[in-house]
Amino acid sequence: MKLAALQQLFAAAALGTASASEQAHLEAQLQGSRVLPAWQGIEAYRTSVDGKLRRSLEQIYPVCHRLVGEDFFQAMASAFLEHGVSRSPDLGDYGAEFPAFLSDFSPAWSLAYLADVARLEWLWHRAFNAPDQPRLDLEALARVPPEHWDRLVFRLPAGAALIASDYPIHRIWEINTVSTACHDVIDLDQGGIRILVWRDGHSTRLDLPSETEWKLLQAFASGVPFGELCRQDFDLSGTTIAELLPLWVQRGWLRDFDLQEAAAP
Amino acid sequence: MRGAGVVTDSSIQGVGLGLRPPHYADILRSWPAIPWFEALSDNYLGGGLPLHHLTRIRERYPITLHGVGLSLGSVDPLNQAYLQRLKVLVDRVEPSFVSDHLAWVSHGGRYFHDLAPLPYTEEALEHVAERIQRVQDVLGRQILIENLSPYVRFAGSDYLEWEFLSELARRADCSLLLDVNNVFVNAFNHGFDPLTYLDALPAERVKEMHLAGYEEEGRFLFDTHGRAVQDGVWALYRQALQRFEQVPTLIEWDADIPALEVLMAEAAKAEALRSDRLLP
Repeated sequence: MKLAALQQLFAAAALGTASASEQAHLEAQLQGSRVLPAWQGIEAYRTSVDGKLRRSLEQIYPVCHRLVGEDFFQAMASAFLEHGVSRSPDLGDYGAEFPAFLSDFSPAWSLAYLADVARLEWLWHRAFNAPDQPRLDLEALARVPPEHWDRLVFRLPAGAALIASDYPIHRIWEINTVSTACHDVIDLDQGGIRILVWRDGHSTRLDLPSETEWKLLQAFASGVPFGELCRQDFDLSGTTIAELLPLWVQRGWLRDFDLQEAAAP
Repeated sequence: MRGAGVVTDSSIQGVGLGLRPPHYADILRSWPAIPWFEALSDNYLGGGLPLHHLTRIRERYPITLHGVGLSLGSVDPLNQAYLQRLKVLVDRVEPSFVSDHLAWVSHGGRYFHDLAPLPYTEEALEHVAERIQRVQDVLGRQILIENLSPYVRFAGSDYLEWEFLSELARRADCSLLLDVNNVFVNAFNHGFDPLTYLDALPAERVKEMHLAGYEEEGRFLFDTHGRAVQDGVWALYRQALQRFEQVPTLIEWDADIPALEVLMAEAAKAEALRSDRLLP
């Protein structure tokens, strides 16, 4: 049998998607060992693959794991694994769709905040593993001629993300991850929350922007150029974008910039 | 004495340890007398704290990079994005060796993150040798290929495993990473003489050896890397030292990882065997 056909059969068996005839076809190509029949060897691969993907979900979603307990988490993982395919050699890329899956997973609907907590955990994981990035190059910024300032596009840190939720997911996250966090009862009806997830050097952070900051962060995240930002009618509570900009650079929220392509004449 | 200053020489000798996150703090605090570390390259392809720790440790120790993601045996196209990320890491860390496995971990763009075996056929040999050459061209260096401990073998092979590895090294002009535990486990599970395996390998191409622990389930030995090196593997290591002499050796421990001192004690045992070998 050709290598490509053999790998197709083997991969299907290892991922648990092989039909009975494919399984039989594969077994005919295998030599069992003197102590382990071929079908048990294939089963060992299937179990190993399943275990690796489960452990990866457990590591990326420890708060969800803690919130629902071992048995329920494994049930969620089993359901997710049925159609959650890994498309990257980096196991850390696996599980991006887990939060969306939880939104549709009816047995978990009684925990209305669970999918949002999962979303936060994924963003935290991505920020933690984002490439290192130096502070914004102020000298390079100073070299941009004033006539091009309109086209400046400021960038949030690599791996930074914005997440909004109807629930205080930052408190749920803190209580279940930070040993010194205050263990007060959380009021799920205290109102929505907006969070900037980002990494400052080696410290992954959850910052809570004000409403104004949130709007501006959204604009920066979507690549709105500086000139257009200045023309938009932001309620900045008496301050200006020009005044906020150095503060945000200092804080680390703005990490890079580039120039939007000039419009064709 | 390790820990006295910045290490720029990347050559390795003696018995090193697999670098694992539970030991970062101990290493960065006490700079233990360990000749070199092997880092799992897949854990450092991003940035952040893991890469920061590795960079600091690299300042004091030689490092080798060992990976599982190249999927060298897969019929899928080589994952160029992964290869480029690996190259960036290699250029940054300047490791003594870069290694991966005689295996495949993906098919049709789906990754199963386990090391699947190849049939030892002429078709597979040509396929893997060509891919290794392409990887070596991109990285600008020779890589080391490690032998597996598969749960199954394929019928209709043209080569025995050791013949396949030897011929692969010759055709791809790559080096070999000999996992002594895997040879022991395979010999037991699949019923061959491990010394035949060792004798068949081209000694000049074996640049590193691995030692690890296996576990027994039923009558089958599983290469779990979850316990100390067993007596049978130590005995085979003695034989390997006869053949490959002072090839650097690594203690691997990936599950139920114990304190660093436990790994250092394992390394000391390996070092003692190497020293015995030097005695007249």
